[in-house]
Formats: sequence, structure tokens, C-alpha cells
Amino acid sequence: MSLRVVAANLYVKLLCVYREKTTMFFTLAFPVILILLFGTIFMSQDNVNFHLSVQDLDQSKASKESIEALETNGKFKITRVAPDVDAVQYVKDTKVTLVMVIPKGMERALQRRKFFSDYQSTAVITYVYDPSSSSVATKMDILNGVLAGINQELSGIPPFLKPVTKSILITKYRFIEYFIPGIIAMAVMTLSLFGSVNSNTELRQKGIIRKLSTTPITRSEWVLSDILYQFTIAVVSTIVMLLVSYAVFDVNLHITAWLPAFVALDVFAFVGIGMILTRFVKEAQSAAAAANAISFPMMFLSGSFFPIELMPSFLQTLAKTLPLYYVNEGLRAAMIFEDNASALHSAVIIGAFASVVFILGILATKWEEGQ
Amino acid sequence: MSEKTDYAIEVENLTKRFGELRAVDNISFTVKRGEVFALLGPNGAGKTSTVEIIDTIRTPTSGKVTLLGMDVTTQKRDIVHRIGVLPQGFTSFDRITVKETLQYYSRLYRRGTTDVDQLIELVNLTDKSDEQYKNLSGGLKQRLGIAISLVNDPEVVFLDEPTTGLDPRARHEVWQVLQGLKEKGKTVLLTTHYMEEAELLADTVAIISRGKIIAMGSPVELIHNNAQDQILTLQSVDGNVADIVRKIGFEPVLDSDDTVRIRIIQTEDVQLILSALKDAGALYLGLDVRKPNLEEVFLKLTGEALHDSHSEWGQV
Repeated sequence: MSLRVVAANLYVKLLCVYREKTTMFFTLAFPVILILLFGTIFMSQDNVNFHLSVQDLDQSKASKESIEALETNGKFKITRVAPDVDAVQYVKDTKVTLVMVIPKGMERALQRRKFFSDYQSTAVITYVYDPSSSSVATKMDILNGVLAGINQELSGIPPFLKPVTKSILITKYRFIEYFIPGIIAMAVMTLSLFGSVNSNTELRQKGIIRKLSTTPITRSEWVLSDILYQFTIAVVSTIVMLLVSYAVFDVNLHITAWLPAFVALDVFAFVGIGMILTRFVKEAQSAAAAANAISFPMMFLSGSFFPIELMPSFLQTLAKTLPLYYVNEGLRAAMIFEDNASALHSAVIIGAFASVVFILGILATKWEEGQ
Repeated sequence: MSEKTDYAIEVENLTKRFGELRAVDNISFTVKRGEVFALLGPNGAGKTSTVEIIDTIRTPTSGKVTLLGMDVTTQKRDIVHRIGVLPQGFTSFDRITVKETLQYYSRLYRRGTTDVDQLIELVNLTDKSDEQYKNLSGGLKQRLGIAISLVNDPEVVFLDEPTTGLDPRARHEVWQVLQGLKEKGKTVLLTTHYMEEAELLADTVAIISRGKIIAMGSPVELIHNNAQDQILTLQSVDGNVADIVRKIGFEPVLDSDDTVRIRIIQTEDVQLILSALKDAGALYLGLDVRKPNLEEVFLKLTGEALHDSHSEWGQV
């Protein structure tokens, strides 16, 4: 094998992508857009603030204090609805999805409970809601929690069970920090799989592979330069993603040798799959469709965007058979939890997969026209 | 290894099958060192399959091919260093300039000595050396392809349809480059379906049809042996010209562009035909009389036209 030949091939590939400014922009921009988009969503989710309409039919000191308690809780931005308005019609006529109605006589009922120990005395809070709204159930759940706290406080008795949270991590991590390693794994997969499939089918269709087969370049030199090319693009993309993550979201991630190691394994695994696809799919368009068929389910099932624990159990089992799952797990173990043992476990699994697929990919790569 | 042989290429009973189709059917020929050898035939005749087996792109179904004394099926890695190939429909990396492309291919041959500028000059691309491939015209792309096939200073050059799809001017520019190769004494195996190209450039022409070589020799020999009659061509003729000519005992061929070609044995035949046309009041806008060429040789040997635009003799 000649490193000079590998370097010449790598140089030409990089020069091509460098001069294709639009392609390069979108190659790097796609994961960055995802980070900005999902990052913004998840960041605001950390400080979630629902709109809540409240109709106070009691207009008493106790009802006003209850509304203030809801406001100071921070979960809700309160809009007051006049007592003479029909709450049901209000929900129908406006885009409001939930109106909490405080009943008339709430303060009196509270006083009966406090001063006369009448524990049968209650105030019925009514939720008037639009069930077609996807967020209303979440709102009501949070509201129930807040009301439970207010009930507890009004009762004047300290709670018996007091939950205290204790994280296994020294630092509190936000969802964006969970998200970034997943996006890196996904972006590297996409770049490697599509890069390998697109460039090889295009070169074959254009007849460049046929021309190269009449030169001394060997299959191993070609494959190695392709790997190095995909790895270089993946590293550049990863650096751009991390820079944006640090600059925009001030993420707290641990950058160690595990990061380039997992990026390299990700590249090997998916370039290998790409080489196998290229062998069996002749046209560039069909190859891209086949790559889509592999990458899209993997993207959503392997926990790149959200934890697989949110999925049904059979999908969780399926997720654990996907190579991208182990890249996600390994990167998170290394970049968030600094858990070298877990990172090593994932690295071994994805490494074994990458080796098998890569060898099959090399064997599948058809250099000469042969038959 | 018989490196000292006079032949650069020796093909013995070569056959190539694609399923049921015999693309190359038991052909044999030799190409001397320093010779320009042309495989002439229409599309689908088996030219490309033959050349792609010899230049190691494909493997034969049966038969033996020796290139520079080496077996093409077992010594590919040694052979590729000593040959240059311009495959049919050659393309290159769109965003890479002429000079960078030649430097790239030069590095693939592990050569540090290729004078890229000299190669660019050889194919008359000096003022385009910094132009990206995608911006070159068809003729310039083919000239770059020829330059690429020369980066390793090969002993044998394979040019598969080097001028197909080019306009006449670009074709002549490529021919000039190929004549330069001939003067340098390179062994060249050329495939073409342009008889002018084969006639102009080749020392030896093998006419190939349906996978078989049906005639082989120098262009002069082939024409002398197979097509001695001169050709009268009448341009933009009336519809009844062919009938009039046939009535006086000639076999006209009507081309798709309203041109009639008539084989004539002696000069007096021209006068005879023109008089008959005049008497019948038939019109034509131009005429010429020329010696026969490989086109006529191909027609005579196969009964088919070399180009799609030509009808068969006698089927007007």
C-alpha cells in the first residue's frame, strides 16, 4: 500500500468537497440546525411556562392568595377571566385550552375546615378544558401537583412523606447536554453512510471508477482514503457542532479521547454499510433511498433524539440491536457521565460491529468490472 | 514472459459472453509495437468489450490475451503501470482543474517525474490548465482524457471511442493530438465507428461486426481489396432520382439527408447518370465523385451501414 496514493486520493476528495461550497455548507449546517432547533425547544422546556386562565368566582382573600401561589410557583403565566364570563364558551371562543374555575364560597369552606375542623368542607376546583389540545393533559398534571402543594399548606399539617432528590452526578445536566452526543452520533452516521453511498455510486456512474481500475491504485488504498476522507469530514462537523453548542447553549460536556474514538468507530461502521449498499444498489438515486431506509429508523429508534426508555419495550429491545444506539450510549457515557467502563463496553460492541461490517464492505467493493 | 516479442498485443480466440449474448466471438489478432491499430465497427459490434478485456477492465470468457508479453488475466498489477487507458465516455472529477487532475493521476502511478506542463502542452490545453473539468467543452475533456492516459509514459495506449459525441472541429483537434502520439512511436489501440478516423490514424484496421473480425489490414489494402469502385454522391435530390438511376442499371443508396450515393465503375458512368437525370427532369443541388473509403468496405462486407443514418445498398 502506498501512502502517497492514499494521500493523493484524500486530497482530491477534500478539494472536491471544499469547492462544492453549497454541499459543504449544508453538510455542516444540517446537524447545527438540529442542535439550534432542538436545543431551543429543550432549553425552554427546562423553564417551562404554561399559559393558564383562571376564573375566580369567589373574589375572596383566600382565592386571591391561591392564584398568587400559582403565579409564584413559576410554572404558569396566569390570565384572569372575569367572573361573569361563561368559562365553557370562553374556551370554545378563544384559543385558551384550559380554564381553572375557583368556586364561589371557597374562603368560607376554608374557614369551616380551619376553625371548625370540618374536614367534609371542600372547594371544588373545575378544569374547563379542550381535550383536542395535546398539551392540556400535561398542564392539568402540573396543576394537580401545584394544587396538592397548596392543599397541603392550607391544611397546616407538615407532610409525612417528603421527597428529596439526589443526583448521581455532581453537576446538574440539562437535556441539551444529553442531546448533543446523540446528535454527534447521528450526524457522523449520516455523513458516513450517505457520503460513502453517494460518492461511490456517482463515481461509478460517471465511469471514474472504471478509469481508476486501469491505474495502479488498489482497492485497499481506495477504501482507506475514503475512510480518512469521511473521518476528516466527520471531525470537522463534530467540531462545528461542539463550537455551536458551547457558544449558544454553554453546554458542559467532557471532551476526552473517547470522542474521536467513537467518531472513528461510527465512521467505520457506517462507511462499511455504505460500501455494502453501493455493491448492491447501482443507481445513485436508489442508493440514496436505501441509505435513507437504514438511517431514518436508526436515527429515531436508537435514542439520538430522546431516551429509548420512552419507547414501548419491544422497540427498546430493537433499539439495543442497532449500532447507533451503542455510539449514543458510549458518547453519553464519556461526555456526560465520565463513565469509562460504560464507554468501553459500548466501544467494544460498536467496534466489533464496525469490524465485521467494514470487512464485508471491503469484500463487497467491486473495483474491476470483472464479469 | 516473452517481452522481446515484436507484438505489443496478442489476442488468441478471444470470446466474451454476457449471458446469451456473444459480444466478442472467437477473435484473434496481433498489434505490433509502435503500431496504431484501429477496431472499426458500428455501436454494439464488440469493440469496447474487446478493448476492455485487453486493457484489464474486464475478464474474458475464454481465449488468451497477452499484453507486452504478460497475461492480462493474471498480471494486471504489472500491466497497469505500462499502459494508458482512455475508457469510453471518460469523465473526471468536476471540481478539479486540468493541472490538478494530471497531478492526481501521476501520483497514482507513484511517479515523481511526470512533466505535467509538458503533457498539457502536448494536448494543447495550456491556456485551460487552471480550468475545472466541469467547465471544459467535450473536445477539451477528451484531450484531457488522452493526457491522463499518458501520465505514466505508457508503452501501449488504449483509446476507446476518443471522438464520439464531438463536433467536427473538436474531432479534428483530437486527431491532431493522436497524430502526435503516432509520431512519438506509441503503440495505440483505437476503437472507433468513424471511418475517417481509422483511415487517417491507423496503420492497421480490423473491421468488427457482431463480435467477429470480418477484415483486417491497412486502410489502403482493405479498400483496394474490397471497394475499388468510385462513389458518385448527389445531394438534395428529388424523390424520383433513385428510381431513374436504378432504371439505367446502377444500385443507388438513399441516405436520410436526401443524398443518393451510387457506386460507379468508370468515369463515363457519371456522364451516363447525369444525362439520364437531365432527360427525366430530375433535380439535385450538388454532386461529387470520390474514391471509396472504409465505409464502403464495411458496407460491402456486412451489407450494413457503419452509421445509423445510412441505408443499406439497394434498399432505397
